[in-house]
This record gives sequence, C-alpha cells and structure tokens, in this order.
Amino acid sequence: MDNITVKSKDVTLLEVLDRVLDKGVIIAGDIVISVADVDLIYLGLKVLLSSVETMECLRGAPFPSPMQEAT
Amino acid sequence: MQMTERQLVYLYCVTEEEPKLREVECLADNLHSVHHKELYGVAGDVEDSEFGEENLKRNLVDLEWVKAKATAHEKVIEGIMEDTCVIPFKFGTLFNTNDGLKAMLEVYGEEFKTILGELKNKQEWGVKIYCDIQRLKSGIADRQPEILEVENEIKSSSVGKAYFLKKKKAELIEQAVNKKINQYGRESFALLKDLSSAARINRLLPKEVTEREDDMILNSAFLVDNDSVHDFVSLANSLKTRYEDAGFSVDCTGPWPPYNFCSLPKSRGQNG
Repeated sequence: MDNITVKSKDVTLLEVLDRVLDKGVIIAGDIVISVADVDLIYLGLKVLLSSVETMECLRGAPFPSPMQEAT
Repeated sequence: MQMTERQLVYLYCVTEEEPKLREVECLADNLHSVHHKELYGVAGDVEDSEFGEENLKRNLVDLEWVKAKATAHEKVIEGIMEDTCVIPFKFGTLFNTNDGLKAMLEVYGEEFKTILGELKNKQEWGVKIYCDIQRLKSGIADRQPEILEVENEIKSSSVGKAYFLKKKKAELIEQAVNKKINQYGRESFALLKDLSSAARINRLLPKEVTEREDDMILNSAFLVDNDSVHDFVSLANSLKTRYEDAGFSVDCTGPWPPYNFCSLPKSRGQNG
C-alpha cells in the first residue's frame, strides 16, 4: 500500500472532532450521559460552528442531498 | 468513614465475537467485556469526577483533556477491531452500572446484530480533499479564454473602464474556481463511491480544526469491501496525482472503526 495513505500513528485533532466525537452509535435509554456536546469542544477551540456553515454556503453547497446518506 | 469515588461504566464498542482485550488493557481502567445474548460490550471504568454530567461539560472545553481521552477511545476500539468486527460508540457513552449496559444490549441487540452483519468484511476509509484556492485561481486566470479576453481589454481601457473590467474579471475567476471545485469534488466522490458499498458526505471543517493552510472542499467516508481496498487506495492515489498541479490535495486514511456506517434505524437511535 502506498505510504501516503497510511494513517498517521497520532490521532489528530481533526480526526478526533470528525470521528470520535461526532460519529459512532448514539443511544438513549438507561444511561447517564450519551451525548458529548461537540459544540463545547468547538468553544474550547474558539471556533463557532456557524463559520463551518458559512464556508459551505460559499462553496455553493457542492453536494446536494441525493448523494448523501441518511443522517 | 471514607467516601469512595463514584464509578461510571464507559462503553467503547460492541462486538459479536468475544473481544481480545489484552493488547489494549493498559489504555483504560478495568477494561472488561459485558456479555449479553451473543453480544459483547467493551467497557472501562471512569470516575464521576471526570465524566459525570457537569464535570464532563467542564472538561470538554479543555482541548488537551479531550484529545487525550478521545485518542484513548479511538485506540481501544482500533485494538479490538484488529480481531473482530466492531460497532464504535460515540465518545462519552456512559452507564451507571454494567447492568445498565446489559439492559441496553437487550433493547438494541437485534439492531446491533444486523449492523454487524452489514459491516462484516468491510472497512471504513476517509477521504478529505483540500484546495489551495490561490493556486487554483492563478491557474485558471492564465488559461481561460474568457478571462484572458477581459485581461486584454483592461490593458487598452481608460482607468474608469478598467476598474469595472477588473471587477468583472474577479467575478469570472470566482465563478470558474467554484465550478472547478464542484466538478473535482463531485467527480472524485462519484469514482470512490463506485468502489464502495456505502458512502457518506460529512460537513466541511474549518482551518482551525484541520490545521492546514488550504481549504477543505470535500469530507467523505466510504465503507469498502476488504477485497476492494487495494483498488480504492489506488484510485485515491491516482486522484491525488491527477490534480495536484491545480492546487488540490487528497488525504486518504484508514482503516477506521466504522463510525460513519453504524447508524441505528431513525426511529430508534439518534445518530449524527
């Protein structure tokens, strides 16, 4: 396998926010806390989520819903 | 009388085969598996002072804490996934006791088995595409006849007219840049999707998160058959070289735990 595609050993902040904190199964039920609030982490980063949305608007929302899996 | 710290049960992932914990034991406190009706929940103990509701909210603003804990979360799941198929849970899935975890496995057991069946012999790969917009812009300005025409017109125009022509030129470049980004993003996604059994587009992340100079233009995840992984990675590599000169760069990573492909049916779960 080509070396450029091998995942780096460190889990980067990017992957932390994109996968570990944002995805995975979320369940409701007999649980103390099931949702770690990602917004709080963005707050720690001093980045507002709205800036992400703005960027998507600027790019003209390149991918309409048919290509997107159900969320 | 000494008060003992209240412990919570932190769930990492669910498997169908008995998980091998030894390799990752050191990453969590009392890593153990909770068996209930053909399913295993891989869990560890955490303290209420760290993960209890109010305390967790306080800690989530501390990036160093978040990064350390999220990395451990990821590493535990990666370790388990080396031997068997996993359903990764979101960071911070907590129960009061192992019995609470068992009750959850009872409620969602059939769904989990269906999901695990769908994930068998497949891997999640991530593809993020970035664009150096300045570089793309300069490439476009040099090549597009329409823009070159305006450029020539500017040279032979009065100051006043040149001002408006320059604005027009900037607009034309902007349009061409957006078109190119769309085209490249769509094309790449479609080609990668063809080699996958499922595909997802996620929201774009800002530079503060990516820690890169260029802009993210596509954030996607794919579920790829083990047999197709080689072709998928080759394709990602070819996409990388194909448009490198125009300012695009492709970041392909994997295999990941299938975070993007383990949604519960809408009526039951709350997947994001």
